[in-house]
Amino acid sequence: MLAVGWGWLTDARPSPVASQLKSFWFCRRHQPHRRCRSLRMGEFKVHRVRFFNYVPSGIRCVAYNNQSNRLAVSRTDGTVEIYNLSANYFQEKFFPGHESRATEALCWAKGQRLFSAGLNGEIIEYDLQALNIKYAMDAFGGPIWSMAASPSGSQLLAGCEDGSVKLFQITPDKIQFERNFDRQKSRILSLSWRPSGTHIAAGSIDYISVFDVKSGSAIHKMLVDRQYMGVSKRKCIIWGVAFLSDGTVISVDSAGKVQFWDSATGTLVKNHLVANADVQSIAVSDQEDSFVVGTAEGTVFHFQLVSVTSNSSEKQWVRTKPFQHHTHDVRAVAHSPTALISGGTDTHLVIRPLMEKVEVKNYDAALRKITFPHRRLISCSKKKQLLLFQFAHHLELWQLGSTVATGKNGDTLPLSKDADHLLHLKTKGPENIICSCISPCGSWIAYSTASRFFLYRLSYERDNISLQRVSKMPAFLRSALQILFSEDSAKLFVASNQGSLHIIRLLEGSFKHLHTFQPQSGTVESMCLLAVSPDGNWLAASGTSAGVHVYNVKNLKLHCTVPAYNFPVTALAIAPSTNNLVIAHSDQQVFEYSIPDKQYTEWSRTIQKQGFHHLWLQRDTPITHISFHLKRPMHILLHDAYMFCIIDKSLPLPNDKTLLYNPLPPKNESDVIRRRTAHAFKISKIYKPLLFMDLLDERTLVAVERPLDDIIAQLPPPIKKKKFGT
Amino acid sequence: MVQLRPRVSRTPASASAMVDEGQPASEEEAEHGLLLGQPSSGAAAEPLQDDEEGDSEFDEDEAPEELTFASAQAEAREEERRVRETVRRDKALLKEKRKRREELFIEQKKRKLLPDTVLEKLTTAPQTTIKKSPGKLKEVILQKKNEECEKGSDSKKTKEKVQKVQSVGHNKSYLAVRLKDQDLRDSRQEAAKAFIQNCLYGPGTNRTTVNKFLSLDNKRLPVKKAAAQFLNNAWGKIQLLALIILYTKCYFVRRW
Repeated sequence: MLAVGWGWLTDARPSPVASQLKSFWFCRRHQPHRRCRSLRMGEFKVHRVRFFNYVPSGIRCVAYNNQSNRLAVSRTDGTVEIYNLSANYFQEKFFPGHESRATEALCWAKGQRLFSAGLNGEIIEYDLQALNIKYAMDAFGGPIWSMAASPSGSQLLAGCEDGSVKLFQITPDKIQFERNFDRQKSRILSLSWRPSGTHIAAGSIDYISVFDVKSGSAIHKMLVDRQYMGVSKRKCIIWGVAFLSDGTVISVDSAGKVQFWDSATGTLVKNHLVANADVQSIAVSDQEDSFVVGTAEGTVFHFQLVSVTSNSSEKQWVRTKPFQHHTHDVRAVAHSPTALISGGTDTHLVIRPLMEKVEVKNYDAALRKITFPHRRLISCSKKKQLLLFQFAHHLELWQLGSTVATGKNGDTLPLSKDADHLLHLKTKGPENIICSCISPCGSWIAYSTASRFFLYRLSYERDNISLQRVSKMPAFLRSALQILFSEDSAKLFVASNQGSLHIIRLLEGSFKHLHTFQPQSGTVESMCLLAVSPDGNWLAASGTSAGVHVYNVKNLKLHCTVPAYNFPVTALAIAPSTNNLVIAHSDQQVFEYSIPDKQYTEWSRTIQKQGFHHLWLQRDTPITHISFHLKRPMHILLHDAYMFCIIDKSLPLPNDKTLLYNPLPPKNESDVIRRRTAHAFKISKIYKPLLFMDLLDERTLVAVERPLDDIIAQLPPPIKKKKFGT
Repeated sequence: MVQLRPRVSRTPASASAMVDEGQPASEEEAEHGLLLGQPSSGAAAEPLQDDEEGDSEFDEDEAPEELTFASAQAEAREEERRVRETVRRDKALLKEKRKRREELFIEQKKRKLLPDTVLEKLTTAPQTTIKKSPGKLKEVILQKKNEECEKGSDSKKTKEKVQKVQSVGHNKSYLAVRLKDQDLRDSRQEAAKAFIQNCLYGPGTNRTTVNKFLSLDNKRLPVKKAAAQFLNNAWGKIQLLALIILYTKCYFVRRW
């Protein structure tokens, strides 16, 4: 609970009164999400919002790129996300989804090129600089079920619905169809190249074929048993194959078996029954001494090549470790040199570093589970207390509830007026919404998809709501990565994926294009984050690699550039009166840069010299939002998924020995001790998982939470597990 | 002395029939005429005035006719030729009939289609006015108060588009839908999706509801609790509020 003033604490042992009230609150959790609970915390009233029905889509494919240590993840709604594993597993880029793009396969080719193929029969190449799709090429084989890039990276193989395996040549700007291999009877569900590039294994329904690449003919056809030592009516679907350089083919199928085949003779060598349900994915490490399989029960098994006895040279594959980090099907796995990566229908991305491969055993070797988005999906209009929620195909506008009751610290206040669902705005077309924003005055709503930009004028008075679309938006505004309104809602800032920044002046019912800042140095670099100062003079924009650019909005000129840092920016904000730019990076570093002075502030230099507390640096979710208190210029409010923190710049900084999450000492302790243990970082973990937190006015906070159980409740059905005693 | 009256052929063949056509009405008449030596001219050629009823009595006593090979062959050939001719005529008639029907159909079809001018204008119209499917038009849905504003502007837009097409000169309101092989592709995509849905969630797969899945934990804890059930209808079954309050209180106090 929170005391008056700024001493924050975690509830290690909640008082009996608090738990009672809390339990009352919790029992209402399962009601339709229209309740907004208010909790008085000393100086603040906090709106706890749980009616944001955010359900991420399941992960379908995962592809790891060794050279750049990046992970490409594609989801069932067609979104493709790129995670930078060396930048603290931060999601640095993403491609918005599309209704018709059901991705079934994802692979990296030579030169950092990313390809995906799906059930609409097209092979799509992604442009990682401009963050759009380069082209989509129809393979003319029906829906494509699998795709694999050759070990050299210059050829691409696609397995189609009609049973054909098509070979494509990767040219510098496109791909070109080369030839078809022998056509098989049923759909090709999995493909794998031999590391030497001479053979291919293709898994289909009930059999596996081995092709010779040069001739294109099938050498062997290995029939797979439908069930382990038995007969089954259900066909055996080969979900994954892997070809090792010694000629062994490993297959995983829907009967729960992992089988080892010899491709030279076409015979079964070894059979492992690992699960009662399907084994849906397989990934082999580069050294070919370990591989990982994912099952439909959520278990991930690690197989390793170990010698039979300690000093013999003969080796065999042994199932070593099971990991149960998922609750639903694990449909994609990848094997990086040091970690096992898995993702599935339960929408988590789990990265499990292998202890024997990790050199330095510190916090980096811990399990990472990425569940919540690394971008902000919620925007807030402070004046009218409106929240705009962004979903994949629609936007929701809610009015926060209000209360007239008062209470003391830790009370739950009853609502006099409930939260109201004002608007449900569906987007036109099959594309997903990339970004959205509501103006601070609550009268403009803007959102962008990959091909269009929408701007609406909203008028909401006394229960009367009306929405009017501003037509004829210019074409250069489409595919915007970030939209921001100025504080007075007179200007609209749009960062497009081509690297340019547009400023639009908003007039009553129409708009006027003021200026476009072109990307510096000629390179196309998408601007991901924007921040505008409350007085409207400065605009900060961060790209993916260069430093943060600060533009003077009045003169329409570039003012300065914050020096580049090697970790991407996760959040950006400009303080009200001091015009200090606060930047949070993915390695949990926070910088403060003074825009008028064009240099880092004293406080920032001090904290960089001293360094952050080690617990602060070990947090695994990025800071997604920074905001400020109007009357207190020394305070910075920031939050990530599991905590929110107020940094008080007037208080001393904690060093590694002090307690970061300092609980409030009991009341009988003297003030001196209290003051001694106080430091600048006031952290609270009461509200979690947090998707958004902001200061509405001087005395009100809004916290949008998304409990994990609510997400799990809306996922597809999992495999039944029989447990003893139930 | 019996005077033999000159015999008259049973079927008096006219002289013109014998002379004009190459083939008489029937072979037998000719034979009769030749054999019986019916003179082609002269007084005896005129048919007898007497009635011919009496002839039948004499016909039974006649000797069978003698046919030479040549005549029989000629007869057979004639027969063949006639048959061929009839077949050919029949075929020609049928063809004519079919041709006429085809033309009729084409004409009907043409009448059904839009006039060429309209089609031309449609295909050359800009891309934005052509929509993929009418279902996707109604995209913006406002659930709460005052939807007229938005709908008004939207419908105006669609009206505008429809009017553009309408200006081509067609009376009824319709929507131009361009099919670009979408049918075939969509059906295959649907089939593929159905296949994967069947593999993963169809009959024979061992799936359970999320409800039961979350309840498993509750049942394995040292303090056994009731199964988790969702109040939200969309998530699972409706449950009594009391049970929820009773059991989730303990559950969540423990968690927190």
